[in-house]
Amino acid sequence: MSQAPSGLPFARTEIQADGLAVVTVGGVWSADVALPDLAFKGDRVKVVAEDLGTFDSSLPSWLFARGRHVRQLDLSGLPARLQSLVTMAEKASETAEKPEEFGLLERFGTWGVDSGSSWARAFEHVGQTALGFLRMVTGKAKVNWSDFTLQLQTAGVDALPIVALLGFLTGLIMAYVGLIQLRQVGATVYVANLVSLAMTREMGALMTGVIACGRTSTAFASQLGSMNVSQETDALRALGISPVEYLALPRILAVTLMVPLLAVFATFIGVFGGMVVACAGDLSVEQYLTQAVRAITFKSFLVGFIKSVAFGFIAAWAGCYRGAVAKRSALGVGEAATSAAVLGITFIVVSDALFAVIFNLFNL
Amino acid sequence: MSGGRDILVCQDLAIGHGDRVVMDRLSFALPAGRILAVIGPSGCGKSTLMRALGGLDEPIGGRTTLMGIDLATAAGADRQSILRRTGFLFQGSALFSSLTLRENIEMPMREFLRCPAKEIRQLAEYKLALVGLADAMDKLPSEISGGMAKRAGIARAMALDPEVIFLDEPSAGLDPVSSGRLDELILRLRAAFGTTVVLVSHEVPSILRTADFCVYLDPETGTMGAYGPPKDFLQAGQAPKVHAFFTQARFD
Repeated sequence: MSQAPSGLPFARTEIQADGLAVVTVGGVWSADVALPDLAFKGDRVKVVAEDLGTFDSSLPSWLFARGRHVRQLDLSGLPARLQSLVTMAEKASETAEKPEEFGLLERFGTWGVDSGSSWARAFEHVGQTALGFLRMVTGKAKVNWSDFTLQLQTAGVDALPIVALLGFLTGLIMAYVGLIQLRQVGATVYVANLVSLAMTREMGALMTGVIACGRTSTAFASQLGSMNVSQETDALRALGISPVEYLALPRILAVTLMVPLLAVFATFIGVFGGMVVACAGDLSVEQYLTQAVRAITFKSFLVGFIKSVAFGFIAAWAGCYRGAVAKRSALGVGEAATSAAVLGITFIVVSDALFAVIFNLFNL
Repeated sequence: MSGGRDILVCQDLAIGHGDRVVMDRLSFALPAGRILAVIGPSGCGKSTLMRALGGLDEPIGGRTTLMGIDLATAAGADRQSILRRTGFLFQGSALFSSLTLRENIEMPMREFLRCPAKEIRQLAEYKLALVGLADAMDKLPSEISGGMAKRAGIARAMALDPEVIFLDEPSAGLDPVSSGRLDELILRLRAAFGTTVVLVSHEVPSILRTADFCVYLDPETGTMGAYGPPKDFLQAGQAPKVHAFFTQARFD
């Protein structure tokens, strides 16, 4: 067997007559050079050193990786300090807990149970929120009212510019699309009806709800998730204060109050956006406004208003819920923020569809 | 264990937060391959001193050199080279939460070592096995206990076989058995690789088992109260505050 070049790490195996594999290691071992690609053969292995120079942890890790699967490993031919580094890792591994292994069926079952408990936690959070509202009304809940006023500002007033921009553009787009179609039948005057009705019943509330999910739900999930990481929510529980009442209630209340006001604002801005397009071409301002006022009935306004209250609640609740169940890590907080926006928007669209069916049934 | 050469030197060092000086007039030298324990009452500036010694924070005054280089004034490449040869365990473990334990240990190896992925994996598994986490390699930091996170933090600090390792309260949160095993690990690393260790600790039995020297920070005088082998302070008549620290903590 040829000797490895001086300095480089080497290893070779010789099988003795009694079946014992003798592994000889030597040279200078460093993590920055290529290590010998040698597997231990047999279940009885003795390791000896020959011309062994300096070594870093690449040598004990090399021995540990190969020796852990050998039934009988004899390291007595190695320097004592090297032996101790290998045996210490082996001993610590023996005392470590073995992870549970799961088969496909068990993993499917675990997924089912996890999904079920996730929904259960969501319903539990809704229940706790409802209970919190009742306790607040009866004056029993401990609510952080400074958070409430802060959220009126941040979730409401601070959102005015983005709501105005998106509301204006929504009205503008609808008017463009409507004009193209209505021109073909000579009914361009009805573009005012189209825009004002769509903004009042549908788009004002929907756009504001989606904006609230993007701005507010994610912010709430990040805030409450970070508080989870730093154990602030645990500290509240330890003081006998419900985090849902103290942290979630003021946020949900503030957003549920502000989103309808923002939706009304978005509706008027959207109608104005439609007017800009309509009046640039086919209609006069008087014509547009007359038609718009005729189209907007109290019923339509009520429908839009009810929707916006629900959307505000959903956006705020999604943020608070995902924040409350966020994992205690930076990754968990990021996931909570993303899932809050997804959950909020999904629930808003689903509930919008449900509202359409219900209002149709009640002829609203 | 190598000796003689001073790997860590402090000369009239002043440390603190911003402009507020917490400790000043700190002067001592630590020979290579020795274990230094930084001790003192809570809030006296032990972790701040360790950060300054390791080059993470600039001192307010004075000078500290690590491996002969003043990290506060060193050029970028020199500084990087020294930091590459040191390992840090922070009080809160500071594991990267989006990476598994194995990936946490592999990360510095991938950045600095030139060996193949298979060997990096082998090294990471060995380091985790050394701290008793061989079977938790694929868990995320959020899925393990505080004590396990501490051990994983130690494994990451050891990832690149550092010449100097800084451990901020390594035994905090560990059970006595794990704590004893950690002391043994520190001693074996020193014996095998000549690693110099600077540790902040309140655990008197652990300090007595492992440390060659200890520096006592006295918040009343705002400077070091004593520097020397810990066993010396067990005898009455030696630096009364340090003696009280050792004896009271030992029998509390």
